[in-house]
Amino acid sequence: MSQAMSNSILSRFPQLRGENISFAPGSGGLGRVVMGAGVIAIAACGLIGYFGPADVHAKQALAAYHIGVMAVMAMCLGALFLMLVFHLTQAGWPSPFRRQIENIAGFLPIVYAMVWPTIIAEIMVGGRLFQWLTDAKDGNYLLNHKSFWFFGGGEVGHGSIPFPTFFLVRAVLYGLIWTYLVTRLTSLSREQDTATDATPFRHARFTSAWGMLLFALSTAFAAFDWLMSLDYKFFSTMWGVYYFAGAAFSGSALTVLILAVLRGKGKLEGVVTHEHFHDLGKLMFSFTVFWAYIAFSQYFLIWYSNIPEETAFFLYRSNYWAWLGILLMLGHFIVPFLIIIFRGVKRNPRLLGAMAVWAIFIHIMDIYWIVRPMVYSQMPDPPHGPLVGLTDVLGITGVVAIFAGYLIVRIPSRELVGVGDPYLVEGLEHKNYV
Amino acid sequence: MSTPMYVTESGEAIHGIMAEFATPADLYHAAEKIRDAGYSKWDTYSPFPVHGMEGAMGFPRTILPLLVAVGGLSGACLGFLMQWWMSSVDYQLLVQGKPFGNFTDGGWQAFIPITFECGILFAAFTSLIGMLALNGLPRWNHPLMKKERFLSSSDDRLFVCIEAADRNFHPDRTRALLEGAGATSIELVED
Repeated sequence: MSQAMSNSILSRFPQLRGENISFAPGSGGLGRVVMGAGVIAIAACGLIGYFGPADVHAKQALAAYHIGVMAVMAMCLGALFLMLVFHLTQAGWPSPFRRQIENIAGFLPIVYAMVWPTIIAEIMVGGRLFQWLTDAKDGNYLLNHKSFWFFGGGEVGHGSIPFPTFFLVRAVLYGLIWTYLVTRLTSLSREQDTATDATPFRHARFTSAWGMLLFALSTAFAAFDWLMSLDYKFFSTMWGVYYFAGAAFSGSALTVLILAVLRGKGKLEGVVTHEHFHDLGKLMFSFTVFWAYIAFSQYFLIWYSNIPEETAFFLYRSNYWAWLGILLMLGHFIVPFLIIIFRGVKRNPRLLGAMAVWAIFIHIMDIYWIVRPMVYSQMPDPPHGPLVGLTDVLGITGVVAIFAGYLIVRIPSRELVGVGDPYLVEGLEHKNYV
Repeated sequence: MSTPMYVTESGEAIHGIMAEFATPADLYHAAEKIRDAGYSKWDTYSPFPVHGMEGAMGFPRTILPLLVAVGGLSGACLGFLMQWWMSSVDYQLLVQGKPFGNFTDGGWQAFIPITFECGILFAAFTSLIGMLALNGLPRWNHPLMKKERFLSSSDDRLFVCIEAADRNFHPDRTRALLEGAGATSIELVED
């Protein structure tokens, strides 16, 4: 966008100036405090886990941290998905808030790095959460069958744990793919601010085309590796889509939340309007339905085929955990469905923002439901006490706080709108005619 | 129709007054004027959708979503009842040792996909048929179709027609309103 063109946009849309689309320099200091609190919470979680009684606490602490990381990673992946799909379809309406999606996705390389402590700790202690590491010592038929997937081949069960080569190779690959896609698309978007034509966005579209394919595969396989493998005997080909559904749901919810907060602070007045909230609400609505569709389909096929390795997944989540499953049914589908379906809710930034908070909470509970029952699954007599403990709260909120702090620091650090965006006029004039 | 209020010189009942406009913007602003003058039985005709026209014409929100919700829910209920009656009341069939589908034995879970699909099917039918019904379709003919000039409204012309059945309708005042709104030509439409 040439200087003359961006000047003409600025004279047509005076709301694209000054305080409305930027913060005073030095804003976001609170973010560092929040990040610090997050680090302290994670450290406390780890200490309780390490010095707590017996094996359960260490497992619980690790699981809590892992839940937080996987839930936040899903939100970042959801944002990356939105970036890719908006570039790919040359969508005009998201241009006023494209920067906020990029801000969320910017945390993806960091949250990816936060998986490594878990992986390294697991390999060093021989598997507390990743049961397949523990069982590789003695070996069994099912694990032998998957030994290529985890260990790169060979038989397991020789009294020691083989090095999980292929598992680590894949973990590195996900990091490379995600980091490249996020940094490439973000830097192209920045380049566009000063570019003389739409070349950077054309490159972004090209990157998104093959990037979307790699995104789909890497997200699905990361979900297989880091969530489904907690019970290595279990398998579900739908798992990747299930994780993606939660990712897209929470990612669009977080975008809504950020925009609602910014609007509440008097920013983006006349830039991000109720028309944009309306469409983001549609995204939230469609992904809550999509999640329910996938979640039910996964359950239904397992219920119908009645194969022991598969049904065990739901067996672990019945009894003491049944309340959580019911909470998910209600909170992840029925309640958001019945609320967001109304046009008035979607067009009201406050209401939709409140629904976004709920969506993020229930998404974390979804990951909790996936990870947490596995902590007790191997015990002959699991505790009947409180199923949400101090370590859980500390570990999860710790990771979420680091993420929140990152966003609080990052969002005010540059202009809230990319004024060189070639679709900006279309985005500003966006209306829902239906 | 009962005795028409207005007739032409040759005694034919009048359907309304039709006016042509040059540009979509003219049509849009004319619609706003007619809306503000309190007319209710009238319509605009254009070969392409004019965005925001429903607002300029003062349309209330359609009740179609409500109809679709009712249709979808009844479809889902009917689908569920159908399966329950067939598989657990009328002719119990043991499939893979699964429960028959009484409400307490958990077998009802097998009914969910069909229930969902029936809900979708009925919702889709309701939205299509409801849309047609609310638009007064299908109908064999329309008085405007008798006008040679009007036929190009599906090609490149823009029209407004205010019906004589409207309680604000008056041959002279309505004509004056349309003229004032910038109509390029105005003519009477016989019923």
